[in-house]
Amino acid sequence: MLEALYSRPNFVTFIILFLWGFYIMVTHHNLIKKLIGMYLVQTSVLLFFVTTGAKTGSTVPILLSTATEIDPATYANPLPHVLVLTAIVVSVATLGVSLALTLAIYRQYGSLEEDEILGRME
Amino acid sequence: MTGNLAFLLFLIPFTIAIATPMVGLRYCRLCRPLTVAGLGLMCVISLVSYRQVLLSGPIEYQLSGWPAPYGILWVLDGLSGLLMIALSGIGLIALVFSGPVEPRHLGARIVPYYTLISMLISALTGITLSADLFNVFVFLEVGALCSYGLVGIGGGRALISAFRYLILGTIGASIYLLGVGYLYAATGTLNMQDLALRLPEAYDSKTVLIGLTFLFIGLAIKMALVPMHGWLPDAYTHAPDAVSPLLASLVTKVALYTVIRITFWVLGAGAVLENIPMLLLLNVGGILATVVGAFLALTQRDLKRMFAYGGISHVGLILMGVTLGNERGFAGGLFYLVNDAVMQASLFFVAGTALALSRASDLDQLPRLRGQTAWLHATLIVMAMSMIGIPPTGGFFGKWYIVLAAIEVGNWAAVAAVLAATLLTMGYFVRIIEKLLLERGTGAAGSDLAPVETPLAIRMSMGVLTATILALGIFSDKVMTMILGSAIPSGL
Repeated sequence: MLEALYSRPNFVTFIILFLWGFYIMVTHHNLIKKLIGMYLVQTSVLLFFVTTGAKTGSTVPILLSTATEIDPATYANPLPHVLVLTAIVVSVATLGVSLALTLAIYRQYGSLEEDEILGRME
Repeated sequence: MTGNLAFLLFLIPFTIAIATPMVGLRYCRLCRPLTVAGLGLMCVISLVSYRQVLLSGPIEYQLSGWPAPYGILWVLDGLSGLLMIALSGIGLIALVFSGPVEPRHLGARIVPYYTLISMLISALTGITLSADLFNVFVFLEVGALCSYGLVGIGGGRALISAFRYLILGTIGASIYLLGVGYLYAATGTLNMQDLALRLPEAYDSKTVLIGLTFLFIGLAIKMALVPMHGWLPDAYTHAPDAVSPLLASLVTKVALYTVIRITFWVLGAGAVLENIPMLLLLNVGGILATVVGAFLALTQRDLKRMFAYGGISHVGLILMGVTLGNERGFAGGLFYLVNDAVMQASLFFVAGTALALSRASDLDQLPRLRGQTAWLHATLIVMAMSMIGIPPTGGFFGKWYIVLAAIEVGNWAAVAAVLAATLLTMGYFVRIIEKLLLERGTGAAGSDLAPVETPLAIRMSMGVLTATILALGIFSDKVMTMILGSAIPSGL
């Protein structure tokens, strides 16, 4: 069991980041801290994607010549990286919208603490 | 040529979403006609393409001409065609309705409001048509971002609801993406048709099982399946009156559609039945949501919140019907999905009109509605009949087919759930009707309020939807035959 964990540091990091972010989101009452937790969760998923795309001893998938025979094993799969790029764009957009919402909430209620905001709403 | 129809459906609302800010910069008033015209065109094209699908089979579109497993494929078949008609039709009617109640205080910010609506419709179209798991993720997020904006655009309490919706929605999307990652690691493909070919070899693999679990949990948050429904009631209650019909009738349904698509077209009905009890799990989740949602609706006093819980209950009912494991149940579930989209839209029309014109949001304030025209009352009564399940409305036939299918496969829990939900729904609608029509002399009763003129747009949209739900009931045979003939997955 431990052997398996030692040999896969990326997966362990991914799990820690994911759960950590989740924990922050659930336990903290500050809206910005919740967003930090959310961003951690998103980033951990991206790390997972990059990890699955990693391949030692391979090169970028650019075809230099068709003269020599092509061995797929020597090339890295570009798709996970492309997916991660798209997912980063999505998460940046989400972060932008969430910060805009937080700003609007702060202007309206003058606080970022959830308890205080709920108190002022009554 | 016909292949382009599928992509055109997406391109229309997308182009309008891009064009709206440019046009709105100079001519603020043009935003609304532009959006209405676009959705009208989309309606026509969805009808034309659905006819094409019925005549000559599914329409496929390869983005940039890359062939299927490498490029992204969009498919318009019987199922997605049906959903596209519901989506564009209800989107159009909700937009017509929203004219008189649109958030006036926005001023010039009405331009981003219409941009968000067009973008939301285009994202929902993308989810419906795309046959690529990652593509679906991107559109899920685009649609969700638009929903957060639309919920929060009015300011006030809605901001907090939008923030919570955002947190939970993003978690849902991240978990979905994680599931996609697992499936990609196990099979090396994202294309749904390709996955359907490669998955059966890997059914024993834990990676696939974990991936599918994440995928379904993520989608369950998006479609507000009990117990992951926490974000929905607040968001839909506090959203502007013009927005909530659109969100309530379409957003959760499209997530539900994705579940149906993955369960039956990627996993395959037969394989699921034998190897993984995924179908049974979804069925149990559906039964739970049906009963709990209806029960929670009964305990509410706020009109919009009550209808929101009713919607949660119906998401469960549809999921339950679809996963019963036979053709009749599947078709009945789909039929109910269309009905529910219509019912949710018109119930939120009623609640929105009540709030905007008579300032009645709570059950106790309902007597104020007596000053309103008969249109509102008639719509409410027909929709109540349909929600409860009284013929000749569409809601009755939907439940009827689901119950018949449940008896056919001997799933008595499902039968009991439908009956329980019917009784609970009757409970909360009887309270509404009682307050509205029967109760007399409650202090500031409606009789002393001057009659309120209901704008033509509202009367028209309510009339169209009421006629639709009655037509769906009366022609339920024909609609069911059409669904059975075109939208049934192979192997069911």
